[in-house]
Amino acid sequence: MESLIKEIHTAVMEGQSDVVQEKVRAAMAAGLPASTILNEGMIAAMGEVGCLFEEGEYFVPEMLISARAMQAGLALLKPALKEADVKSAGKVIVGTVKGDLHDIGKNLVAMMLEGAGFEIVDLGTDVTPEMFVAAVRENSPQILAMSALLTTTMSSMVATVEALKAAGLREQVKVMIGGAPVTEDYARQIGADGFSTDASRAVSLAKSLVSAA
Amino acid sequence: MKPRDRVLMALNHEEPDRCPMQVSFTPEFASRLRKEMNLGGEKLHNPHGGGNTYELERALGEDLLLTSVGWANSYYQGAKNYVDEWGIGWKSAEYTTPFGVGAYTEICGHPLADDSAIAGYKAPDPNRPELYAEADWVLRTFKDEYFIVGVTVTTIFETAWALRGYERMLSDFALKPEIAEQLLDIPYQYHLTAAKKLTEMGVDMIWLGDDVGAQNAMLISPKMWRRFFKPRMADFIAELKAINPQVKVAYHSDGNIYPIIPDLIEIGLDVLNPIQPASMDPARLKQEYGDKLCFWGSIDEQHTLPFGSPADVQDEILTRLKTLGKNGGLILGPTHHVQLDTPMENFWAMVKGITQTPYPVA
Repeated sequence: MESLIKEIHTAVMEGQSDVVQEKVRAAMAAGLPASTILNEGMIAAMGEVGCLFEEGEYFVPEMLISARAMQAGLALLKPALKEADVKSAGKVIVGTVKGDLHDIGKNLVAMMLEGAGFEIVDLGTDVTPEMFVAAVRENSPQILAMSALLTTTMSSMVATVEALKAAGLREQVKVMIGGAPVTEDYARQIGADGFSTDASRAVSLAKSLVSAA
Repeated sequence: MKPRDRVLMALNHEEPDRCPMQVSFTPEFASRLRKEMNLGGEKLHNPHGGGNTYELERALGEDLLLTSVGWANSYYQGAKNYVDEWGIGWKSAEYTTPFGVGAYTEICGHPLADDSAIAGYKAPDPNRPELYAEADWVLRTFKDEYFIVGVTVTTIFETAWALRGYERMLSDFALKPEIAEQLLDIPYQYHLTAAKKLTEMGVDMIWLGDDVGAQNAMLISPKMWRRFFKPRMADFIAELKAINPQVKVAYHSDGNIYPIIPDLIEIGLDVLNPIQPASMDPARLKQEYGDKLCFWGSIDEQHTLPFGSPADVQDEILTRLKTLGKNGGLILGPTHHVQLDTPMENFWAMVKGITQTPYPVA
């Protein structure tokens, strides 16, 4: 049974979606708890993927295929996780801000957070402040994560923070931001709670924001 | 000094009268600038240099004129949504700045998303004579005075991913390398044909490019770049130099591409662009590679130009001239098209700073 977990772990790290699905099915058939498959197989593997990315061993393609493999396994596991009432690490709303259609960074952050056990509500790209506010109201997430690639669209992050304040929701949610031109200083300046340079570090940031809440 | 001679000296690692300048703009900034400078011209400005009159560039005192053949000309085609001649779908995304509203055209449709579409795909014909009419005109009209650059950016990777889809293409490198090779060959062949033709016509430099750098690291591993891109880029450069050994070759990649700079030098690169200062330290680049490589760009578009002050812009120019531009080897300008969020004072501080600071810089 342990070897199945190891095989899931390896297949996630190698980005082999088919193998992950096959082994997850086998592990479930063998009666392994869904939480064990998730935590020891997939979340542990994605944690290692994040470390390898930060160390410069993995790059975007490797991270991407691992995340896709993890998602393939998770799709099979979800009903069992729900049945066993396995709690997520927290709920995160993600989106690329208004005027900006760039989504690779946002997608990687979403996938890495999902791979760390967070529940993701992905609003896509070109998301207006009003849409972010409505999604926060509807989903009550712990975190709102915004992405922007362009200096011309970054200002929508301030507008969203202001819109959250105006709606009386700012205190209920932590705001994290990222994207090429975004800096720690900028995050501080617009009143965001955190900033991350990449998808792997976004996971540590999200964990620390949730535990500080 | 003629702009052309200024560039030739700089690329020969000598200090001309002043550092050469090259600046490009988004269509919206170009309109703003035309008004500011009382220049006419109703046509949509193409920042890649396809279909331009070069009035703005010449009025500003730029030293290089760009003329583009290739997929990069599919950007900024004006209409809200369109499909280009490669079958790639585009849509428009509007943004708001303190200086007005603009729109980017972004890729949204990928004709080769399905593996089964690849084998039967027919790329546009790069041998159509009309593609080279502008280059012919620019060379006849301006080559005596200006340094002429043939632009074939988005050379391999960027056109390939637009055909395939970004995440799909990145995954292909890891999971379906044979498909990746097939996809990369499509734009490689097209842009090689175009670049060879432009070289035969007499351009002074060919500008290649593919964004393989992210803000802090490479997008793909150096190993992957060496497998998929280095051999193609090496052949590309060799073919151009075989036509004209004097032709210069520039390469553009956004972000941090430190690990592959020695590879680029090895395969014959002359000029590296755009040197995003938040991603790669310009002074370090000059120190490590300044004897083998020239640099183009380096004025920060992520912070200084849109959000800094005119004094910040001036400081950055002086810093660059003393580091990257020491003993020549530099064409100064913004790292990217000047965006609509740039205050006009910062823009003029840049233009004046470059054109009015003589070499040697104290």
